[in-house]
Amino acid sequence: MTGARGKAIVLWGLTALSLVTLSLPTLIIIGASFTSGDIIQFPPDGFSLRWYERLFGLESFKGALLRSFYVSAVCTAIAIPVGTLAALGTVRYRIRFRRALQVYLLLPFTIPLVVSGLGMMIFFGEIRILGSLWPIGLALCVINLPFMIWAVSASVNALDDELENAAANCGAPPVQVFFTVTLPAVMPGVITGALLMFILAFNEFLVSLFLVDSRTVTLPVQIYNSIRSVITPDLAAISVVYILIALAAVWLLDRLVGLEIFLRSK
Amino acid sequence: MSTQNRATGLSRRRFLATSALAAGSLAMPRIVRAQEPEKPGELIVRAWGGAWGDALKEGVTDPFTEMTGIPVRLDFTEDNEIKPKIWAAVDQGRVPPIHVNWDTTTNATISALRGVTVDLGDLKGLDKLLPIAKPVGLDGWPLVNTYSYVYVCAYRPEAFPDGAPKSWRVMLEERLKGRVALYNDGIGFNPIAVLAGGGTVKDIPDNMEPGYEFYRALKKNDPLLGEDPDFTTWFQNGEIDIACTISVNARAAKQNGIDVEWTVPEEGCKVDTDGLWIPKGLPENEEYWAKQLVQYAIGRDAQEKWCAALGLPPVYPGLEPPADLVGDPAYPTTPEDFKKLVRIPSPVLVENQPVWFARFKEIMQG
Amino acid sequence: MADTTTGRKPVSWRMLDAVDRLVAAAWPRGAHGMNGYLFILPAVALVFILIVGLGYMADYSLHELDLATYRLKDEYSLANYAAFFERPVYLRILGRSLLAAVIVTAVSIVLAFPYAYLMVRTQSAAIRKFLLIALFLPFFIGQVVRAYGWLIILGKEGFINSMATALGLPPLDLIYNYPAVIFGLVQYMLPFAVLLLTPALAAIGEEVELASESLGANWVRTFRHVLIPMATPGLVGASVVVFTLTLTDFAMPQILGGGTSDFIANAIYDSYFRISNLGLGSALSIILVVIGSALVALIFMIAGTGTLGISGRNK
Repeated sequence: MTGARGKAIVLWGLTALSLVTLSLPTLIIIGASFTSGDIIQFPPDGFSLRWYERLFGLESFKGALLRSFYVSAVCTAIAIPVGTLAALGTVRYRIRFRRALQVYLLLPFTIPLVVSGLGMMIFFGEIRILGSLWPIGLALCVINLPFMIWAVSASVNALDDELENAAANCGAPPVQVFFTVTLPAVMPGVITGALLMFILAFNEFLVSLFLVDSRTVTLPVQIYNSIRSVITPDLAAISVVYILIALAAVWLLDRLVGLEIFLRSK
Repeated sequence: MSTQNRATGLSRRRFLATSALAAGSLAMPRIVRAQEPEKPGELIVRAWGGAWGDALKEGVTDPFTEMTGIPVRLDFTEDNEIKPKIWAAVDQGRVPPIHVNWDTTTNATISALRGVTVDLGDLKGLDKLLPIAKPVGLDGWPLVNTYSYVYVCAYRPEAFPDGAPKSWRVMLEERLKGRVALYNDGIGFNPIAVLAGGGTVKDIPDNMEPGYEFYRALKKNDPLLGEDPDFTTWFQNGEIDIACTISVNARAAKQNGIDVEWTVPEEGCKVDTDGLWIPKGLPENEEYWAKQLVQYAIGRDAQEKWCAALGLPPVYPGLEPPADLVGDPAYPTTPEDFKKLVRIPSPVLVENQPVWFARFKEIMQG
Repeated sequence: MADTTTGRKPVSWRMLDAVDRLVAAAWPRGAHGMNGYLFILPAVALVFILIVGLGYMADYSLHELDLATYRLKDEYSLANYAAFFERPVYLRILGRSLLAAVIVTAVSIVLAFPYAYLMVRTQSAAIRKFLLIALFLPFFIGQVVRAYGWLIILGKEGFINSMATALGLPPLDLIYNYPAVIFGLVQYMLPFAVLLLTPALAAIGEEVELASESLGANWVRTFRHVLIPMATPGLVGASVVVFTLTLTDFAMPQILGGGTSDFIANAIYDSYFRISNLGLGSALSIILVVIGSALVALIFMIAGTGTLGISGRNK
């Protein structure tokens, strides 16, 4: 067990186990969604696309899907400027209380999601903005902000500030330097971060649960409510739509920056 | 040529006639419509899912949409979960998330006591309904009860070859470990647990200890806890053999071809009512149309279809029970039927249910 | 590019110049030392929303619920906090959540380490890509859909039980219990653990392993004495994240737990939405934040922030 073969067996065995647990639910749901029967089961009872047809007619799911896109767009739109500036600020500039700032900016991680959700529900309710869709985008941006900052700061760390010095030496004023040198250089991080923020907002469930109501329900909450009410195969069909969107996001992320970016040490 | 002339001539005449008719018909409804507030884009009704939502659609909301042209959307948020959201909306002066709440009478009463419901006293036909339609302990009609129902003992006949279980205590049997189901707050069973635990009706609500004893014993049998649709799913998937659930859920599984029966054991079953209420804070026209929806729901057609689909006794008098439920203990109509059932007055439920729910959860969590 | 024939600058250049003039007027050179603070200001403001929410909750937690009106009483009291310590159910739920957090963290790391190692060390780019995709896809699919998939697989008439009954075995109780929740959490946390371990493993050059082997250690000893200690920042980062996420998870216990395996997040949710007691829910939340932060602070003090830290270059 201690030879090279043993190493391969142990490592690949454990990894295969992980792969199975990671992919099995996805495959099963895809399979179950093609059933021609009336209840969820796998293997499916016959093959049919009827649940997908039903899905297109279901206003509730379509509305929720569109709302999820909107909310994710708001989240990403806020995250890009805020997160990029914050990453640049923390990494490149001299700031006192840097340690405290790091802890502060990690608060969305350290404060449990359920507490953030409850707190924002109370706060937004008190200032009367609960019930609209954009506060949900704002809330999702807040809780996922560390991801954006993390993604951009990876790029900022790799940035050579000699480039900016060179630009300044050529006579470029600060804003021009920022837009023509700095920003393009950190673009990989910004894109990675934006994509992450979008997909995380699209998937976000718990905080949305607190903030949505029936007029503003987003797709993850809708799926959750449907699981709790009646489990028919159209739920599997919408899950497959979800999976397809996730696939698209993974492909996009890979095309734009390459998934290998996550392997790099900081 | 002449055919064409004749054709055009006919069509011109027809055109003039039709347009006159059209103009007339456009003018008339406008006169009527001037008295009706603008119809909203949709009405949102909170409902329970599964068989319940389907029954509401069939009996109330689909006919209503056909009649008025207003689409109705069902919101499946749990009744307990939407309560604080509505309260917060009313407190903060925002539009509430739903137009009509299909709620348990107890929850509706709590909301009514808090003053967040719209008075329904001006609906027509309230006096024609059975006395049970009027809320107890409240002034006027802050809500209207729409039917009664029984929390029966539903079971799989295969697991009980000697016939229906005679006592709720059968739930404690070892062989049913992991195959017993209750609502996840103990609703419908909390007072019955007292009786099953050896107490009497007089012990409710001051001495619930026999009930809690029963729960502690039941906990050892690993019961499953869930909501309405879970029971149907569990019976369908063969996960449970016995449950305390509303007859609707068992009947739904039965109608799907699953072998399920129900009975009223010797200790009795809890009987209760559900109702409809409208939260305050809606825009005037939406409130008007929400009221129209409730008005329709207590009318003869809706009551007949809706309650027949559910299989529950309506508050509209004189309707025949569905064929499969004549003489069924879950469809009480005579005084004898009601004697076997346990009804807890609304005020007692309002005060005590939250405590019972909390204690139930505590015991079942451990 | 500038139109050299007429000598006029393109619009974008002129816009940038205008902005620069504005900035120069509003933000003098001397103040450029404050640039850092300015840049972080929006993020600070955004995170402040959470602080405000916490503030409201801290206030609410100090008021008891008046059962007659279902509103919070006006007087301040510590009754909600007392309820946490007095009622055994909450301590039980806390214990259950902490235990789950420990188990899930341990199992996730054991599974994540080989996964991350293979991803980093494999020569084939295709295999690396495959492993990455297999990791990111569930990550992007989200908790609810995956939990739902497991319900289908593990249910009494689900996939596994169908095979079991086909083999003549009795159906197994695979869902609606504590082990199901733990299992669901492990498969959810796995991508997090791998993502946080990978940078640390990537930083360890392959030469180190080769050196260890050339000194006579087999791969087990290399792992134990060289690789794992060097990967500590990754292990710390992964442990902290998986621990806190598990401790505070809501969806898995809710969907897979069957109502009897509530975690703290479920108790908080219930206290607000099931029994309408905002005071109690707020108190439980504050307690959770305090416990979680204390544990994380402890780990950070002992082991540093690991791969979670945002390293700066200007100290």
